[in-house]
Amino acid sequence: MRIKLTSVLVDNQDKALKFYTDTLGFKKSKEIPVGEFRWLTVISPEGHADVELALEPNANPAAKQFQEAMFKQGIPITAFEADDIQAEYERLKALGVVFTMAPTNAGPVTIAILSDTCGNLIQIYQPSHD
Amino acid sequence: MLHREVLIRLTQARDLLRETEDCTFSVRQVARATGMSPYHFIRLFKAVFGETPKQCQLHARLEKAKHLLTVTDRSVTDVCLEAGFTSLGTFSYVFARRVGMAPTAYRQKVRSMMTRRGEIPHQLIPGCFSLMCGPPN
Repeated sequence: MRIKLTSVLVDNQDKALKFYTDTLGFKKSKEIPVGEFRWLTVISPEGHADVELALEPNANPAAKQFQEAMFKQGIPITAFEADDIQAEYERLKALGVVFTMAPTNAGPVTIAILSDTCGNLIQIYQPSHD
Repeated sequence: MLHREVLIRLTQARDLLRETEDCTFSVRQVARATGMSPYHFIRLFKAVFGETPKQCQLHARLEKAKHLLTVTDRSVTDVCLEAGFTSLGTFSYVFARRVGMAPTAYRQKVRSMMTRRGEIPHQLIPGCFSLMCGPPN
């Protein structure tokens, strides 16, 4: 058994694909129609090509409620690792991304939190040097 | 940097924009309730939620209309008004453009998928967890 897939709930798959590729810099991996929606995944060109992130529609009312409650509490839904968090922060800010936390030292990692424009807060982190 | 308190105010603004019952609010009113100028409010809202307040409001109204068409027998005019639209012409036009079919055609389509009256067909709430089952072969 392996961990190769994770997912985030998104309020609109088109908007999500645009943000996760054009802005965050991931690449589209799979796009398979499933009813009214799509099985839509992205991969990171900087990471393992077989580790995918699914952009899942929040059409289920339970999903919507969960997503909004987490957002209101300021809690990130998932986290991505950056080699240089400060550079990512500057790059994304220049693209108009809104951060709720600037890069902040949290001991073993430096973390920052951004809004993904699809209803989520996302954490990015950089492990501190040993 | 967006402070936590502003983040909360923005989510409250989104709730106001989604309000379709009793009273609805204009973007200007919501901006005022949020304590921002309309310009600043629209800009920030779009940057955080990926859509303008107006688009957010329209989505909420269309969702409400779809829901009412699905689970009630109310006339298209009633649905239009209850979903927060003020003109039947605008409602029919916007609905057809966004949903891809007229309100009555949408009602017929979902009714044909319905197994129990008044219950949303499961095809319309696939989302997340059920997509995990993977695409049908």
